[in-house]
Amino acid sequence: MDMINDNDNERLLQQFFSEAASQQIEDNGFTERVMQQLPAAQYSWANRFSRLWTIFCVSVFVVLFIVFRGWELLAVQFEVMLRTIAAQSFSINLTMLFSVVFGLLLVATGEVIASESTRKLF
Amino acid sequence: MASLTDISLVAQVAISGNKRAFDELVRRYQSPVRRFFLHQTMGDSQLSDDLAQDTFIKAYTNIASFRGLASFQTWIMRIAYNVFYDYCRKMKNEKLEMSNENVEMKNDSAAHSSFLPSHSSLKMDIYAALALLKPDERTCITLQLIDGYDIAAIAKITQMKEGTVKSHLSRGKEKLATYLRKNGYDK
Repeated sequence: MDMINDNDNERLLQQFFSEAASQQIEDNGFTERVMQQLPAAQYSWANRFSRLWTIFCVSVFVVLFIVFRGWELLAVQFEVMLRTIAAQSFSINLTMLFSVVFGLLLVATGEVIASESTRKLF
Repeated sequence: MASLTDISLVAQVAISGNKRAFDELVRRYQSPVRRFFLHQTMGDSQLSDDLAQDTFIKAYTNIASFRGLASFQTWIMRIAYNVFYDYCRKMKNEKLEMSNENVEMKNDSAAHSSFLPSHSSLKMDIYAALALLKPDERTCITLQLIDGYDIAAIAKITQMKEGTVKSHLSRGKEKLATYLRKNGYDK
């Protein structure tokens, strides 16, 4: 009985709203008015934070690279890689691996924070 | 420009700030957005246009946060819902839920609205019927019966649980059906 009643209600409402459902509103200058009101391109604090965080991470990476003589580590790693290929065995420089993972984590954290703060706008 | 997909238009706006691309997006979606507000405000075309304008400006300034997980239309309707929700909160002290006299006044202005080509009396009936509903019920009902969204999409737009949307729809439909029967619409 309830099912029949629900179907009747549904049919009645579909019929009642059918005209409104097919209504298209003419633009009549609305788009122009919106375009005139658009603000100049601006960056939200989240975007600014994201950029500053990226700059910070790159700076930290450069300083660490110089302090720990990263080029020497790279040279060693490169040599090890060549030897590994030659010997067909596998070896990892833990210091190098740690530096790369740490750098990636710093950048990723910044991206996630910026992304979440932007999402909260909605 | 007219043949480009929504995603490529959004990308042009987000990357290079291309205003022509955004102009095309506004043209494509002004009708559903303004219609949504028109039904939430029960025919106040001036208020609807102001809220729709706020919606598109908000979409423009935050376009970089569009991730493409839902369609652009769902995304913009979600912004529209939030704009309306904020407006309701702001107006809460001024008693948003209109009294019957106010509805009649609104209906008068709706009848003279440039949006309404004909059958204004039916429009007035629609607004009078929608006025019986609570704001959340009205939103769910209009999104389903007028804008054609399914329950999952309504839940996405309003950020409600699907069960809550179903409850609002069920209660709203019951109220509307009773009102329509009382006014002889089932004959």
